[in-house]
Amino acid sequence: MNKLLTILVLSLTAVTSANAAVVVIGNPAAADISINDVKKAFLGKGDSSVVVYELEEGNPVRSEFHQAVTGKSDAQLKAFWSKQVFTGKGTPPATVAGASAMKSVIATNPNAIGYIDEADVDATVKVIIKP
Amino acid sequence: MQFNLKVLSVAISMAMVPSLAVAVADEAADAKIAKLEQQVQALQSQQNASLTDKVKFNGFVSGAYISSDNDVGYNSADSSANFSEDSKVGLQATFDISDSTQAVLQLMMRGEYDWEVEAEWAYLSHRFENGIKLRGGKLRVPLFMYSDYLDVGYAQPFARPPEEVYGAVPFSSYTGAGASYDVDYDDSTLTMQIFGGESTVKSTGTDVSNLMGANVSWTDEIWTLRAVYGQAQLDGSANSEIDVELAPGVITQADYIVLELNDEKGTFAGVGASYDNGEVIAVTELTRVEVDGAYPDTDSGYLTLGYRIKEFTPYVTVAYMKTQDNDERLPLSQAAAVQMVAFNAERMAYSLGLRWDAIDNVAVKFDVTYADDFGDTSGGFSGNSIDTSTGKFTYDDTLIYTVKFDAVF
Repeated sequence: MNKLLTILVLSLTAVTSANAAVVVIGNPAAADISINDVKKAFLGKGDSSVVVYELEEGNPVRSEFHQAVTGKSDAQLKAFWSKQVFTGKGTPPATVAGASAMKSVIATNPNAIGYIDEADVDATVKVIIKP
Repeated sequence: MQFNLKVLSVAISMAMVPSLAVAVADEAADAKIAKLEQQVQALQSQQNASLTDKVKFNGFVSGAYISSDNDVGYNSADSSANFSEDSKVGLQATFDISDSTQAVLQLMMRGEYDWEVEAEWAYLSHRFENGIKLRGGKLRVPLFMYSDYLDVGYAQPFARPPEEVYGAVPFSSYTGAGASYDVDYDDSTLTMQIFGGESTVKSTGTDVSNLMGANVSWTDEIWTLRAVYGQAQLDGSANSEIDVELAPGVITQADYIVLELNDEKGTFAGVGASYDNGEVIAVTELTRVEVDGAYPDTDSGYLTLGYRIKEFTPYVTVAYMKTQDNDERLPLSQAAAVQMVAFNAERMAYSLGLRWDAIDNVAVKFDVTYADDFGDTSGGFSGNSIDTSTGKFTYDDTLIYTVKFDAVF
């Protein structure tokens, strides 16, 4: 019975985490911002006081985020930033290694925003938008 | 034994109580330490980031193989393999002097110019409180949609920007200043830019002075619309290496001064649009170049369509160019005849290509371009000479193969 319950709980967790979607997170003290402002911030435009962090290239959550927010594929995003860099218009955001690193940089900077899988959200950060 | 066991169990239970308490305390402390460690790490990475943020190094590399079915010279291709023309290396350093001031230096080495090191961008920029960005130094002439990153092949869908349009202006950078201003709308950005300065045409040494212009572009990251106007004064000689029949059987082949430009006014006007929804790509540009006097006035344009299928992007391009002032070069004199042969030009070009995003930061491109419809002209190719037996130009079409890799780092 216990075993069965464990399997049930485990499989439920698996299902939830498979369904969990990318969410935009900010410092608990941060003000809400719109999805357009998030898009602009991740393309180096708009309000420059917003500090954004990206997950590293190859992370599927990164691809999912950009699909939903900036509409750019990995290759398009790469081409976009090489355009910006080599015309002196901007540099790509700093990257962090994973969800826990993302949460800790967001937790220490009230102006920072980033994104993680919904399943990794905890009390150190606040969900701003579910794109 | 019994006693010992009892003592042991008592001892154990006695030891257990404080150790449990310690364990609980330890756990809390561990969590606290872990949290602090995380914070220190975050602060440290922020500090490191702010130090490394002051100077950034980036670069791009392109290696290309080009070959053609004849020696007409489309993009300098001939019937033997050419590994130099489109091969290049660019290194860029960006220095953040303050939050709003930076210096950018981009050094380029091109196979086309024997890998000689040249600064393509070298400027100081400053963003004022009101959002106006001022740049001064050596900059790209922002006439075309791809002007700003003309050599960064990775940022372009095709193997090379269509020669019919991009070949119409023989210089790509200027020394001077420019200002730009962004207007941010809810979901799009309007950018206005003005520029002014001077330049020289590398191949002929022609001076380009009083260069000034403006462009405006709007983008919502899917659609981009753009318009540009520029003008300059041109001073110097326009040379050509074309074979010219001066009289029956008398042919000159030397570097020939076809025309002396004497502060002739040149104007450039262009419109462009692109669409990229992540799957479908469409890009088009229409340009008009006019220069006073006999120097050619050229209309040109292209349309590129592409479709992304995962890491593959097949594309097609149709491009054209045609000189619009052929009647100014009617062969009433020997000079006009020479100018007619050298300057009258028209052609169509059709490209079929494939961009393959092979690995991170590297795209491999395959392109076949066919150019024809030269009319009664050389097609704009200095390698296309008049065949004395027929009195017509030797070639009336050309086929160019390109294999290229473009990387950024």
